[in-house]
Amino acid sequence: MTREAIDRTLQRTVTSEELRHALHAPVARQEREEVLALVRWFTARYPAPEDRLAYVRQAYARWRTHMAHR
Amino acid sequence: MEPSAFDELAFFRALDDSAARALLIGRRALVLLGLPVLTAVYDFWIAIDDIEAFNGVGARFGLHPTRTPDEARRSGRYAVENDEHVDVLVARSVPTVDGEAVEFETLWDRRTVVQVDGSRVCLPCLDDLILTKRIGARPKDLEDIRLLRILRDAR
Repeated sequence: MTREAIDRTLQRTVTSEELRHALHAPVARQEREEVLALVRWFTARYPAPEDRLAYVRQAYARWRTHMAHR
Repeated sequence: MEPSAFDELAFFRALDDSAARALLIGRRALVLLGLPVLTAVYDFWIAIDDIEAFNGVGARFGLHPTRTPDEARRSGRYAVENDEHVDVLVARSVPTVDGEAVEFETLWDRRTVVQVDGSRVCLPCLDDLILTKRIGARPKDLEDIRLLRILRDAR
């Protein structure tokens, strides 16, 4: 898949049906527990909002470096 | 690669000290709420009368607007950028893809304030943050909607 095709896929506007599903479909217990576990980890490891922002800037920089060397 | 030298805490402090009514939307708002999601950009929705004040803050950090204030008011969107990119929504009202009107003033009245290093950062409340995700409605917005639903239901 070309870069342009990937961008088109990522930037497309979703359908009404997809949106309805995201808004109203029941969330499975496993998905809920995984997300809440992630939130617990993130907020315990980085209790201050400014540290969460810093973590994301560093994580994004690491991701870019990784992608540049692929 | 190291993050750029952009001092985001100083930016939020300057924004708090300014007269600009600005809501942080997008994924950085999710991060402040405790969701570890990746993003490259900052997203704000600002009051249509506050473009100059917002741009004044940006200018102190070398962020240049991509449109004049009049052009931004007409188009409803612009960005301020250098090696950082800040997307700015500047309309009084924006429709979601499923046809609901979202009004800045309503979101502003219901805003949540998060303390970031001593500065106030304004976000839409959780339900309104979900509403803003229905404006762009790209695949990643659907992922964010599910994350926000889980967070909202757990509170």
